[in-house]
Amino acid sequence: MSRGRLMARTVFVLMAVWSLGTAPARAQDAPVRGGTVVAAIVSDPGHLNPAITTSGATHAASELLYNGLLGRDERGEPVPELAESWQIEQGGTVYRFRLRDGVRWHDGTPFTAADVKFTFEEVLVKYHARTRASMGAVLAGIEAPDDRTVVFRFKQPYAPLLYQLDATEAPIVARHVYQGTDPQTNPANGNPIGTGPFKLVSYTKGTEIRLVRNPTYFKAGLPHLDGLVMRIIPDLAVQVLALENGEVDFLWELPGPQQARLKGDPRFRAARTGYHPGGSNCIMTMSFNLDRPILKDLRVRQAVAHALDRQAFLTQILFGDGKVAAAPISSEIPWAHAAGLALPRPDRAEAEKLLDGAGWKKEGEGPRTARGVPGVADGTRLSIEFLHFPTFTKYGELVRQQLGAVGIGVVLKPLEPAVFAPTVFKDRNFDSNVISYCNGPDPEIGVRRMYHSSQIGPAPFTNAAAYRNARVDALFDEASRTVERDKRTRLYRQIQELVVQELPYFWLVETVSTRAWAARCAGFKAWTGHFAEEAFCRR
Amino acid sequence: MPGWIPASDINRRIWRSRAGRAGVLLTGGLLAAALVAAHVGPPDPFASVGPPLSAPTLSHPMGTDDLGRDLLSGVAHGTRTSLVLAVIVSMLTGIIGVMVGALAAWEGGTLDDLLMRVTEFVQVVPRFFLAVLVIALFGPGLERLALLLAVTSWPWIARVVRAEALSLKRREFVEAARALGAGGPRILLREVLPNLLPPVLVVVSLNAAGVILIEAGLSFLGLGDPDVVSLGYLANNAQRFLRVAWWMAAFPGAAIAAAVLGLNLLGDGLNDALNPRFES
Amino acid sequence: MPSRYLLRRLAQVLPTVAGLLVLNFCIVHLAPGDPVIALGGEHGDAAYYAFLRARFALDRPLPEQLLTYVTNVLRGDLGTSFVHGRSVAGVIAERLPATILLVATALVLSSLAGLGLGTLAARHGRRPADLALNAAALLGYATPSFWLGQMALLTVAVGTGLFPVQGMTDARHPQTGLAHVLDVAHHLALPALVLAVNELALTTRLVRTGLLEALGADYVRTARAKGLPEGRVIRHALRNVMLPVLTVIGSRAGMFLSGAVLVEVVFAWPGLGRLLLSSLLARDYPVLLGMFLLISFAVVLANLITDLAYARLDPRIRYQ
Repeated sequence: MSRGRLMARTVFVLMAVWSLGTAPARAQDAPVRGGTVVAAIVSDPGHLNPAITTSGATHAASELLYNGLLGRDERGEPVPELAESWQIEQGGTVYRFRLRDGVRWHDGTPFTAADVKFTFEEVLVKYHARTRASMGAVLAGIEAPDDRTVVFRFKQPYAPLLYQLDATEAPIVARHVYQGTDPQTNPANGNPIGTGPFKLVSYTKGTEIRLVRNPTYFKAGLPHLDGLVMRIIPDLAVQVLALENGEVDFLWELPGPQQARLKGDPRFRAARTGYHPGGSNCIMTMSFNLDRPILKDLRVRQAVAHALDRQAFLTQILFGDGKVAAAPISSEIPWAHAAGLALPRPDRAEAEKLLDGAGWKKEGEGPRTARGVPGVADGTRLSIEFLHFPTFTKYGELVRQQLGAVGIGVVLKPLEPAVFAPTVFKDRNFDSNVISYCNGPDPEIGVRRMYHSSQIGPAPFTNAAAYRNARVDALFDEASRTVERDKRTRLYRQIQELVVQELPYFWLVETVSTRAWAARCAGFKAWTGHFAEEAFCRR
Repeated sequence: MPGWIPASDINRRIWRSRAGRAGVLLTGGLLAAALVAAHVGPPDPFASVGPPLSAPTLSHPMGTDDLGRDLLSGVAHGTRTSLVLAVIVSMLTGIIGVMVGALAAWEGGTLDDLLMRVTEFVQVVPRFFLAVLVIALFGPGLERLALLLAVTSWPWIARVVRAEALSLKRREFVEAARALGAGGPRILLREVLPNLLPPVLVVVSLNAAGVILIEAGLSFLGLGDPDVVSLGYLANNAQRFLRVAWWMAAFPGAAIAAAVLGLNLLGDGLNDALNPRFES
Repeated sequence: MPSRYLLRRLAQVLPTVAGLLVLNFCIVHLAPGDPVIALGGEHGDAAYYAFLRARFALDRPLPEQLLTYVTNVLRGDLGTSFVHGRSVAGVIAERLPATILLVATALVLSSLAGLGLGTLAARHGRRPADLALNAAALLGYATPSFWLGQMALLTVAVGTGLFPVQGMTDARHPQTGLAHVLDVAHHLALPALVLAVNELALTTRLVRTGLLEALGADYVRTARAKGLPEGRVIRHALRNVMLPVLTVIGSRAGMFLSGAVLVEVVFAWPGLGRLLLSSLLARDYPVLLGMFLLISFAVVLANLITDLAYARLDPRIRYQ
C-alpha cells in the first residue's frame, strides 16, 4: 500500500473512531422536539400557587407554570426573564425594570406591569414567608407607570432584590384572576393561569399533575417537550426503582445510598445542587433554647459542640453528599461565607472537661448529675429533649449516640411539621432541635431571621434559639442597608465570628440535592425550579 | 369442644403434635436467643460498632445498618421487644377476656346480654386504624400501644371463655361441687378456670402473633416508638436501603415471620392437643 | 323467613354504629389540647377556629355536641379537611374506588385460590404435597404484608422488569378504553397478589382443616362406599366447610384492610392507604377521623354480609 493511501486510511480510521466516540454527545447536544417526561415528586402539592407558600412540594410541582421577573443561572446570578433589563438607582433604593413585550398569560390575556404590582402588593408580601420576612418591612412601594415598566422603591438601600425575583422567591400571578379574591381560596390555585413554559392539563389529587407545552411561551423554541407529568411517589426508594424501570425519567432527589450505584450506570445522569424548590443553600442546624437553664451556660453548649463529630453526620446520613458546615452562612454563598472560622472541633476530652467545669458531674452510669448548676436543682440528670421532623430521625439518633458518650442524655421527640412549628416557635417547648435552615440566595433572606432579636416569635422557622445580641442586631441592620458587596462581606464576617463564639446554634452539615434523570434525556437545569424548560429527550 | 382432656395431659399432647413441637421449639428458641443475645452482644443496639452498611461477616453475622449499628444486636433486642410486647398484651387480654367471659357465662341473663353486646362492639373496632388515630393524636409510645391493643383484643378470648364456661357449667363435677355446698366463686376458681386455660392459650397465642404484626405495620408507617428498638422499627429503617443493603430488611422481616410463625404453630399445637380425635 | 333474621340482624347494627360514632367523638375530645385543633389543624387562624366552634357547637355542653356531630355524620358531613380544603367525605370518596378495586381483587384471588389449594391439600391427606402446601400457607400467613411487598418489588418488578413498581396507570401514555383497563390490570397485578397472600394462606389452611375433618365423617364414608364420584363427595363436604371459613374471613376484615393500607403505601397505589399516610404526616385529623369511621363501618358491613351469607347457607339459623 502506498504511503499516501496508508495515510488516508489512517485518517479515515481516526475520523471514524473520533466521530463514533463523539457521536452520542453530538446527538445529545442537539435538542429534539417532542416527547413527554415523567418526573417523580414526593408529596401532593395541595394546590398549584407558588406565590402563597414556600412549601417545597408546591414549588416543585408548579414553578414551571409561572415566571419571575428574573431567573437565575447556574452560578445563581440573575438573568432576564419577564424583565428584559433593569437599572439600580439612588444607591440601591430604587430598582427600575423594563418588561418584555408580547408576553401572554395561558388564557391569552396580555401580561403587564400591573400584574407585577398586584402580585407583590397583594400576594407575595402577605403570604410568601421569605418575601415577607425580607422585603416586607423595607419596601416603600411599587409603581407601574406604564404597561412595560415596574419601579420598586425601598425605605433604605436594599441589596438582595435581584436574587429574590425568580419563580421560587417571587412568581408572578395574574391580576385578572386573583384581584378581589382571597388568594388562598381562589379556585385558580387548582387550575392555574401563568406565563410559564407549561400549561396545566389535569391535576389528579394524590396521583399526578399533567402539563402540556405552552405554545405561546415568550422564549422562542421553548419548551422542547410536548408534555410533562409530575407523578406523586412518596417513597424515595420506590422512586429510584421507578427510574430504573423506565416508568419515571427525572428525580428531584436521588437518595444518598443509591448514588454510588447509579452514578456508575451509563443509563442515568446526575447533577448536584444546593438549590431546592423549598429553599436553597440549606444547613442542618441544631438550635439551643437559650431560655432553658440547662443550656444557658456557654460551656454546656461548647461541650455539645465538642462532643459531636460532624464528619460522621456527613458520611452516615448524607453518604458524602454535602459538606460539614464550616461557618454559619452556607458556602454556596461564597462572598458571605466566612472561611477559616474556628468552629469547635470534635474533642470528647474537652467536652467532658467543660461539663465538669459547668457543674455536671459523672456519677455512675447514665447521664451526668447537676452539682451546683445555677437554676438547676442538685441531683437533676442532664437530659436534653431533642425535637425533629420524622424525616430527620437519623440526625436525632446520631446526636443521641454522640452526646450519650460524654454523659449527656438525649430524648428524641419526632414531630410532624404541622406540630413541630407551633411547639418550637409558639410554645417554645423544647431544649434542642434540628432544623434545616435555608439561607436562600442572599443572607438577608434566610440568615437574618435566625439571629436578629426582632425575629423571636411565633412565626415558624425564625429565631428558634431566642438569641439576643445587640451588637449582632446592629450589624445585621447595617448589612441590610448596605449595597456594596465588599462591605457586606465584612459585616457578615463580623456577625459570623460573634455567633460562633456564642453558639446559639450549632451548624452541622450543608445539604445538597442530587437530581437524577435518564440518560436519553438532557437539558435539565438542576439549579432552578424551571428544571425542564430546556429539557428534551431522544426516542 | 367435644370431649374433655385432663389438663395434665395437655403438655404431653402438645409435644406429640408436630405443629406443637415446632411451635414450642421456634417460639422458645427465639425468646431464648433474644434474651441471651441481648445480654451477650453490644449492650446498646443504638451504638455504632462497625462500618456502615456492611454485609454479614463473622464479626457482624447480620451485617450493619446505615449508622454502623450491629444488626444482630438490633434483631435480638427487637425480637425481645416484640415478644415482650406480645406477652404483656396477651396477659392483659387474657385477664380481661377471662373475666368478662366467665362472668357472662356464670351469671347469665341480662348481664350476659350486656357483656356480649359490649364484646361484639369492641370486636368490630379495627385495632390497627384505632392505633393509627390514637398515636397521631396522642403521640407514639410502646406502653400506650400495649394498653390500646389489650383493650381491643379481648373479645375473641371472652367469647371462647364464655362458650367453654357455659359447657363446663353443666358438667357433673360442677354439679357435684355445688351439691357439696361449694359457693359460686369457689367453683369458678377451682374447677372451671383451670380448664379454661388451654383454649384461652390457643386464642392468646394466635392473638400474640397479631400483636407483633400490628406493631411492625405501625412502625413501618413511622408511628413506632423512636426510643425503642423493635422489629418494625428495623424494617422501617431498611426501606431506604432495599437495593443497597438487603440484609437490613431481610433479617428483621424473617424474625417477624419466625416469631409470628412460632406463635401460630404453638396455637395450632395447643389446638391439636385439645382435640381428642387428634392422634399424631 | 329469612327476612326476619335480616331485620333482626340489621337492628343489631344500629347500636354498633351509634357506638362507633360515640367512640370517634370521644377520641376527638380525649386528645390533648383543644378539640378545635383536632378539627381544624394546628395553625388555622382565629376566624377559622371560631367558624369551627360554631359548626361543631364546641362551646355547648357535651351531649349537645354529640348530637350535632351525629346529625352531621348522618347527613354525610364528616368535616372539612384543612389540608385539602374540601369536605372529608369528598376527599375520601375520591380515593375509595382505587382501594375497593385492590381489596376486591385480592379478596377474589385469595378466596378462589384458597379454596382450590385447600381442597388440593386435603385430597392429598398427609402426603408430601399437602405438607408442602401447609408449610407454605403457614409461612404466607406469618409474613408481614409490607415486607412481602418490598421483596416483590425488588425481585419481581425490578428483577424481571415485567411489572411496574408504582401507581395505577402508566404516567407517560395515558390510555383509554380497553387499553386503559389492561393498563390498570397490569399495575394491579403485583399489589393485589401481595395483599392476597395473607388471606390466601389462611383460607387454604382453613379449607384444608375443615375438609379433612369433614371427609372423615360417617356420611362421607357411606357415600364413598356407595360409589359416589369423589368430586361430588368433596363438593358436598365443602359446603359444610364454607360456613366456618366464611366467618373467619369476615372477622378478619379489619386486619385485611390494614394490610391493604400497607401494600398501597409500598406500591404507591393511589387509594386510601396513601391518603392515610399523607393525612398522618400533615396531622389532618378530620380525614383521619373520617377514615377511621369509614373503616369501622366497613368492618361492620363485612360482618353483616358474612352473617347473612352464613344464614343463607346454614338452614339451622333461619328458624331461630
